[in-house]
Amino acid sequence: MKKDVIAYRMSCQSSGAGLSHYIMVAKKAE
Amino acid sequence: MSNAGKSNAGKSGSSASSRGVYFNTGNGPTIQLIDIGHPDYIALLAPDTAFWSLLKKDKLGEALTNRSFMGQYREKEASFSSEMQTLRFDLAPSAVYFNPTERCNLNCHYCYIPETIRKNGEHMAEEELIKALSILETYFQETVTDGRRPQIVFHGSEPMMNCRAVFAAMERYREVFLFGIQTNGSLLDDEGVGFLTERGISIGLSLDGHTGQTADAARKNWEGTGFSEKVVSIIKKLKDYQNYSVLCTVTQQNMKFLPDIVDHFHSLKIPCCMLNPVRCTLPGGRKLKPQDHELAAYYLRALDRSYELYQKTGRKMVIANFANVLLSIVAPTARRLMCDISPCGGGRCFFAVSARGDLFPCSEFIGIPEFCGGNLFKGEIRQALSSPAFKEVTGRIVERIEPCARCAVRHFCGSPCPAEAHKMNGAINRPGASCELYEEQVRYALRVIADGKEDKYLWDHWDVDTTTSMKITAL
Repeated sequence: MKKDVIAYRMSCQSSGAGLSHYIMVAKKAE
Repeated sequence: MSNAGKSNAGKSGSSASSRGVYFNTGNGPTIQLIDIGHPDYIALLAPDTAFWSLLKKDKLGEALTNRSFMGQYREKEASFSSEMQTLRFDLAPSAVYFNPTERCNLNCHYCYIPETIRKNGEHMAEEELIKALSILETYFQETVTDGRRPQIVFHGSEPMMNCRAVFAAMERYREVFLFGIQTNGSLLDDEGVGFLTERGISIGLSLDGHTGQTADAARKNWEGTGFSEKVVSIIKKLKDYQNYSVLCTVTQQNMKFLPDIVDHFHSLKIPCCMLNPVRCTLPGGRKLKPQDHELAAYYLRALDRSYELYQKTGRKMVIANFANVLLSIVAPTARRLMCDISPCGGGRCFFAVSARGDLFPCSEFIGIPEFCGGNLFKGEIRQALSSPAFKEVTGRIVERIEPCARCAVRHFCGSPCPAEAHKMNGAINRPGASCELYEEQVRYALRVIADGKEDKYLWDHWDVDTTTSMKITAL
């Protein structure tokens, strides 16, 4: 049964640790 | 920050008498509808706060007139607005793209660094590199104070051209920084692979195809020889190492092979890849740029293929640039790449250091001298971050770009990239290079959510450290 509405949002502390499109630095490396 | 970058949420300060009880009039929330190409659902978005909802098509009227639905959104509107404000304007740099050399042993047709620099440029001496990291350590001690390690990504040109200095710096500062290296792989031997993997260093490798012919079409050395076989051999050596990704630059030459490339990468057990449209900062890249709508068709097929492979094998290969767009929808603050947001991450989440110590908002600007904001060795990090050159990039917001200012998905895209807008479209406050590709990625992402498949496209445990800040389950 399909829902009438789907809407959610997850939130977390923005650390600013995001990089650009060149490389992913794994979070687990921490 | 001007009001142009702020949301319309929390209009209680507005002088209009409207109580804001209707969508789209007076002080009511401004929403936009978009067709996502799904048989059952249509999307309703409040672009300023990056709120999204998917409604059964026959329930749209009810949603627009039902006070309960609006009320559930209004309850969260101010906090979502504040979240976007923080994400877009209140972060401090914690990463550096560091070019330890100007030289490259390859002459890729689409490189954004001018040929004369890559061919005849300088290496940064080992002692200078150590000194540079010492300066960065001191700087980050004051700005990254929550116990995290700042990130240093050695980048190019080709950082392995100066590997002795790079490895010495990594060894010396291994407790201080989280290191990564983006390399073409051609100079990486067993010893080098061992050095990097033993230290848990993130490795980004470049591979543009599923066959040697495709992969080497644009990536060749100065004599015209490609190195894709070597890169594949390194990937095989990394099979038990999870901290690496493969970057495939997508051009007119390889776009039609994207589903095959996904097959190939998955068969090599690559955990994470990026299928990045070629950057159009220099004419070489622009010459190879596919038409957006043509690229989008192949790109979405590649996403379909990654899902099919996951269903078939139970093994996931994350296509990170799409995963980031999907994350920007379901968890805006959890995104891992900062290209798809405005202002982009250049000059505010990270910055770039050239082999001469010059500071740029991002590596993409290294070939554009007017975007140099200062020099690291002259102690000018803070000045650079507030220089006019950096401010031009960190002040680039979609609200000032046409047609982005009225686009419903503007905060899932960000109209990247400013360097391309500057060089390709004539001014930094012009749209980025891949508008229609973003439209299609967002629509695809919303279809994935409608079908409850988002976890299949995202990193395992992507939601660790997140909390549910809103969930609407009924109208």
